[in-house]
Amino acid sequence: MGCCYSSENETTEQDSDESKPLITHPNPVSKPPNGTDWITTSVPSARTDEQALLTSILTKTAQNIIDVSAADSVMMEQHEYMDKARQYSTKLAVLSNSLPQKKALALPSLTSQPHQVLASDLVPYSDVQQVSKIAAYAYSAISQIKVDAKEELVVQFAIP
Amino acid sequence: MTTAALTAGLERIPDQLGYLVISEDGVLASAGELENDEHTAGVMMQMVRTASRFRLAGSVEPPFKRMSVILEDFVYTVTVSGQKVFVVKRQNNQQEPISV
Repeated sequence: MGCCYSSENETTEQDSDESKPLITHPNPVSKPPNGTDWITTSVPSARTDEQALLTSILTKTAQNIIDVSAADSVMMEQHEYMDKARQYSTKLAVLSNSLPQKKALALPSLTSQPHQVLASDLVPYSDVQQVSKIAAYAYSAISQIKVDAKEELVVQFAIP
Repeated sequence: MTTAALTAGLERIPDQLGYLVISEDGVLASAGELENDEHTAGVMMQMVRTASRFRLAGSVEPPFKRMSVILEDFVYTVTVSGQKVFVVKRQNNQQEPISV
């Protein structure tokens, strides 16, 4: 969203690391059913631009689809869940040890002449009023944002 | 800088009702209506920490020099210099009320 302090590029840098699974899956069957595995077939090295474009469209589409029909196939036994949970907590314990202790951030220096900055004129009333008005408009606009359902969330593909 | 040197300029600020000089470890100096006001010191410290986390796109420094907390009768003006937070309570002579 285009909020004052939101910057799109912040997320993209971390994306790859965040979406990386914490525990690598030992057996390929338990892969998450996001449907990305079926397009990883090797493409001939001498592919044309058109093929490359089609492949990229296919990849993008595959990334945007969650294959709910495949979800049933990854049933896990209760002991498998427990095992997974234990693995995750061990992994997290190891990772949290390597994190630097998060201490309060050092204060930034806003000015080298604090007395001058504090003694200068107060913010004019009209400015404060204008900022309050803009904030009220923004609040009102944000509160009116809603999701408008236009199409089915789950679609059936007519795969023969 | 000695405490006296830190506060000498604050005393001369027009319409000042009191001030605080705060470091990471606590209040270094206080006077007037803010004398020994640990509570206000804590709140101001938190507010300035929160405000200084904001960054405009592509900028490394916080985009402001002074934070003003405006109330009907008085204003807290806050700035940070040399790892110290300076808070000055000043009279608000602007008559119109602020309606939000």
